[in-house]
Amino acid sequence: MRLFILLLLLGSTVFLSAQPNCEAYKYFGDELKYKACKAAEKRAGYYQFSRRYQEALDEAIAIDSTFAFAYRAKSTAYLKSGDFLEWKYLMDKAVKFDPTAQLDYRGWCRYQFFRDYQGAIDDIELLDSLVAYDIGHSVNGDYHLHIARALCYKALGEKERAIEIIEGQVQDSTYFVGIYDFLHLGVLYLETEQYEEAMVAFARQEKENDLAELHYYRALVHKATGAPEAYQEELRIAKHLYLEDRKMFDPYVEQMDKVYLSTIEKALAAER
Amino acid sequence: MKQVWPLVFLCLIVGCATEKDKPKYLRWVGDIEADAEIDGDAFQLCYSEARVKQYFNFSQGLQYEGEKSAIDEVFRQNYQAVELPQSGWIRIRFIVNCKGESGRFRLTTSNTEYQAQDFDPKITGQLLSITQSLEGWKPLPDTEDPRDYYQYLTFKIENGTLKEILP
Repeated sequence: MRLFILLLLLGSTVFLSAQPNCEAYKYFGDELKYKACKAAEKRAGYYQFSRRYQEALDEAIAIDSTFAFAYRAKSTAYLKSGDFLEWKYLMDKAVKFDPTAQLDYRGWCRYQFFRDYQGAIDDIELLDSLVAYDIGHSVNGDYHLHIARALCYKALGEKERAIEIIEGQVQDSTYFVGIYDFLHLGVLYLETEQYEEAMVAFARQEKENDLAELHYYRALVHKATGAPEAYQEELRIAKHLYLEDRKMFDPYVEQMDKVYLSTIEKALAAER
Repeated sequence: MKQVWPLVFLCLIVGCATEKDKPKYLRWVGDIEADAEIDGDAFQLCYSEARVKQYFNFSQGLQYEGEKSAIDEVFRQNYQAVELPQSGWIRIRFIVNCKGESGRFRLTTSNTEYQAQDFDPKITGQLLSITQSLEGWKPLPDTEDPRDYYQYLTFKIENGTLKEILP
């Protein structure tokens, strides 16, 4: 029975990532964190940018200055407003007090919002060294953290290493393929002139999640391999999908390998 | 004297972001209070301060004529690299009103370790000036019911060279 309650408490904590289960702290005898957690619950119903939301978390931190969750919850508004100073200060606190639970978020955000490639790699690899389980996905669910790590290596010029990481990830039979994984892999093959591999990756991306970007990059493969008609046809498909909003999208940032309409149209115009 | 005024203006904008005597929280994190000394009176909100949104509140991402690539192109053509050993991030945060006009520009700057760091005005001045010249901001969420919203651009600088523009 005790084991059942323990699993229930831990389980609900894992799945309700927006707010820890305060009762779990009580169960484990951490009264201070329980009180801090209950104070943090006062932010419910308030926008994360709002004064009331922030003040509830300040109260939680005043009760227990080691309550990592409160620092992380506070940090999100600063992240989304582009305030790298306050965001990093808060996330460093969160990581200090609970590294295995917070390194994933700090690492991902360093890549997503600030293109801090080396910082993201350091956080993700540190997390991977600290835990025995799968390090999981980005907070928005679009990328496994190893895929994000690979994109950071690509940005730092280590394309072969990036390919190796993505290949290893997508070949794992237990892995659920991400919505952009094969697009990025295909672009990496294209950039390293491995055209056959690029076409295989783009075919897989088309099957998983058909996007304007994959057709644009597939067009570039056709151009590189001397197939002008296929090149133009893929550009036309890319434009069509783009205008249907079937393209890479993140409400906060512009993603790596994203293609813009003007780029597709310029390529089409150049062929006329 | 003519060359001094842009620097004075820039100091006002940067300094405003680090005032010690302002209340801990405004309405929302990242809110920018109007300051006639910095902003003049040309820029006006369409609605009240309490109704200014964030650009991502509309789930449409950054909205600019010609998309983000058009912004990249403007900076590529106009920013001149400054040969100084200064690297880090420079955020310029501002408001776009319901007509697509921008104002209330404020700067936040850090080194590559996310610690506050001033950049040479030859770097920040250029970035501010080019950002203020951008005229393609689109009304959000659409032209039927446009709102005022906060937008920002973050510039990743390596040794005085502009490497990336975010978000």
